[in-house]
Amino acid sequence: MRLEKCWFCSSTVYPGHGIQFVRNDAKIFRFCRSKCHKNFKMKRNPRKVKWTKAYRRVHGKDMTQDSTFEFERKRNRPERYDRNLAENVLKAIPKIDKIRVTREERHHKNRMKGKKEKLLKEAVKELEQGISLVKAPSVLQQDPSLTLPKIKVKVSQQQSEENHAMEE
Amino acid sequence: MGGKCPHRNVKKRRYSHKTARRTKFELKGDDMVYAQLNKPDQERPPLPVDEDLPGMGQYYCLHCDRYFANITVRDEHFKTKRHKKRIKQMMGPAPHTQLDADLASGMGMPDNGPKLMSM
Repeated sequence: MRLEKCWFCSSTVYPGHGIQFVRNDAKIFRFCRSKCHKNFKMKRNPRKVKWTKAYRRVHGKDMTQDSTFEFERKRNRPERYDRNLAENVLKAIPKIDKIRVTREERHHKNRMKGKKEKLLKEAVKELEQGISLVKAPSVLQQDPSLTLPKIKVKVSQQQSEENHAMEE
Repeated sequence: MGGKCPHRNVKKRRYSHKTARRTKFELKGDDMVYAQLNKPDQERPPLPVDEDLPGMGQYYCLHCDRYFANITVRDEHFKTKRHKKRIKQMMGPAPHTQLDADLASGMGMPDNGPKLMSM
């Protein structure tokens, strides 16, 4: 039983699922769902469709280089069966999977590092721009509770002296 | 009176003309064209003589996968906007392949094993 990957969205195609298109130059295109098949027939590029793994890889949203990827690969040369090796491999599979999941979470956390400050800045800007839709500006003059407190900046004496000098 | 004719179908009619049918069903895939273009010139086979094709199959546009009757018509085709768009597309990044899909889903490069001794 071999698990293949969908040509379009790169998800796993289990046996008995999906559809397969063999072109007349013997190139095989496998699809996991009719959604992917229809997108292929419309000649869409998977690198430009946002919900595909190829897009996420190109735009840096998923991990692209990791040593855990080397354990899973298409092996075109059969290996001689070794019982001890098979048992060790079966034991190692959940461990490798756990490591991969941990690294993916770390990658995601690193990607989301600056998001909190970004959201706060956007919220402040939206409040400043949109507060007049909630209350009229004349009412805001009397009741300042709906606005952010204004930041007071102290003016230094040296600056005033400089202004005085410029007047002369 | 005034009902829809049961046999006329917009969807069927939309694909009945030659250009749409050719574009959708008969053209070579992008990766085949790309592979042909990236071969060195020595490896490209000479065009076979075929009496069923226009111009004996000797005046061929590889980008657009079209045969022309003579060299004048082919050179006229090279000036068209569609051909230029096609050239620009083929100069861009390589088309998507199954290998790209495998790598994107977290698999490594395929393991083809040791190279066999050539007899």
